[in-house]
Amino acid sequence: MTAVFVYTDDMLHKLFHKLNTGVLIALTAVSYLALAFVVYFIFREALPLFSQVSVWDFLTGTRWMPVDYGSGTAFGIFNFIAASVIVSLLAMIFASVLGLGAAVFLSCAASEKIRRVIYPFIDLLAGVPSVIYGFIGIVVLLKIFLKVGVHTGSCVLAASILLSVMLLPFLVSSCSETMLKMKEHYLPGARAMGVDYWYSVATIVLPSSFKNILLTMMLAIGRAMGETMAVMMVIGNANLFPTLLGKSETIASVIALEMGTAVADSPHYHALYAAGLVLMLLVFLINTGIAFLRNRLIRKEA
Amino acid sequence: MIRSRLVKIWAYASFILIAAIVVFLFAFVFIKGAGTISWTFLTDIPRGAVLGSEGGILPAIAGSFLFTATAAVLGGIPAITSALYMVFFCKSKNMGVLFKSLIQCIAGIPSIVLGLFAYSFLVKDLGLGRCVLSGGTALAVMILPFIEVRAEKAFSEMKEQVIHSSYALGCSKTYTIFKLVLPSCRGELVSAIILGCCYAMGATAPLIFTGGVAFSAVPDSLAKPAMALPLHLYLLIAQGTTSLPTAYGTAFVMMAILLISNMAATLYAARVRKK
Repeated sequence: MTAVFVYTDDMLHKLFHKLNTGVLIALTAVSYLALAFVVYFIFREALPLFSQVSVWDFLTGTRWMPVDYGSGTAFGIFNFIAASVIVSLLAMIFASVLGLGAAVFLSCAASEKIRRVIYPFIDLLAGVPSVIYGFIGIVVLLKIFLKVGVHTGSCVLAASILLSVMLLPFLVSSCSETMLKMKEHYLPGARAMGVDYWYSVATIVLPSSFKNILLTMMLAIGRAMGETMAVMMVIGNANLFPTLLGKSETIASVIALEMGTAVADSPHYHALYAAGLVLMLLVFLINTGIAFLRNRLIRKEA
Repeated sequence: MIRSRLVKIWAYASFILIAAIVVFLFAFVFIKGAGTISWTFLTDIPRGAVLGSEGGILPAIAGSFLFTATAAVLGGIPAITSALYMVFFCKSKNMGVLFKSLIQCIAGIPSIVLGLFAYSFLVKDLGLGRCVLSGGTALAVMILPFIEVRAEKAFSEMKEQVIHSSYALGCSKTYTIFKLVLPSCRGELVSAIILGCCYAMGATAPLIFTGGVAFSAVPDSLAKPAMALPLHLYLLIAQGTTSLPTAYGTAFVMMAILLISNMAATLYAARVRKK
């Protein structure tokens, strides 16, 4: 490594540079191939199911009887899809109320010094493993729900509250960044004209950050849907249509709970991959929607 | 005026509430778990009539580190080379946009789906069985975009002047990268890898059916299954109240590892920046 730092015709040095570049490009290719591999394997294991069950029945059916105990099998994941979507949506709404407020605080009320102290703590919160959230959810949150009178305490509301805390770090850091930019862009002018500080925050900074906030909130839904452990531990896991205080089960929790007992290459196994495929496609769909919206919004501004 | 006052109250109230949540999370786990932590807890294997209700968590700690190390090597290296490629080698703008959206797609894959992938590819097709390597690969794909995004940010924030000066002096691209770019970005890179490792260490979903088990000895090979802290915690909770003290202890250890490595990452990045 050390010898090659002046221009030289030495073939060896050129070869060395080429070799390094080659290795680097090969390793880069690995990371992009990873996506192709994941998508290929999920599709390959999911598709055999659809020779038995139609896609429509799979997506809209509400009966989930993966193993035949005499009454036949049924593969309908409608309730699971509904639970994934509703829990994530609720979590996003709860998280936005707190997250946006905190973002306003960090961008407009806190000084640069305070911000520099707070950000590492937000990173820390982002690093708390989901199983710890699930644990605290069980020993604290579910106890409260039980006292209020919810049977066993597990419910959709508990899951979405827990999930909303997990979304907070992402929402706060990304929204406060946007608001900070808008504040630096617009506030000096408003202040020069004698507008009250908090009035200009409410009427200028917030509305001008709206588009970016919306995109961040959509991204948060995508993240929430993939979350497995914390939700699974407090949602009760029963194949029911999600209601606020009722039990339900998300796509991710079905996979996590049943994959261990599914016999390889059985219809049950393929159905779980198909459920995974649906989950993955849902998240991709949301992300594509965001990319599309972002392009349109930015083009409009330019 | 009412509107502005409301916004102000909202901002302060939500910030205080979030700060309270952070303090509560850590205080709760540390206070409840402190009673369980002892030298035996950290160095013994799980014991008890209901396995794990007594004894320690040494195999889970060792297993978690092994899973994480596997993920860091398999995911960290391609992540950093991809970031280098994006910043220094990729000249076509369209390719850049394509690669960026590919990385975002990988980041969007739910971790449980990565577990499914590792199961069908590594456990079943390649015949590796449930082992550290299979689970570690799922974790590697999970932390790859996490590290890539941070590394790319660090590289693209380097002053262009420095890099162009290096080229002007006749240094090759590889030489510039190894002697100039990597050393000056090492603070951000190391902290990105540490945070990525924390992320991998806390993940349960990809391990459930690819390499994590309820009980094993301290792992000595990548080809064997191993215990992992988050999975152990999950199983302890699932066993009900008999294992609650050891569950608190396990949560304590996980949060302590998270706290220490986060602090190390922040301090290291700050120290390098000062220099």
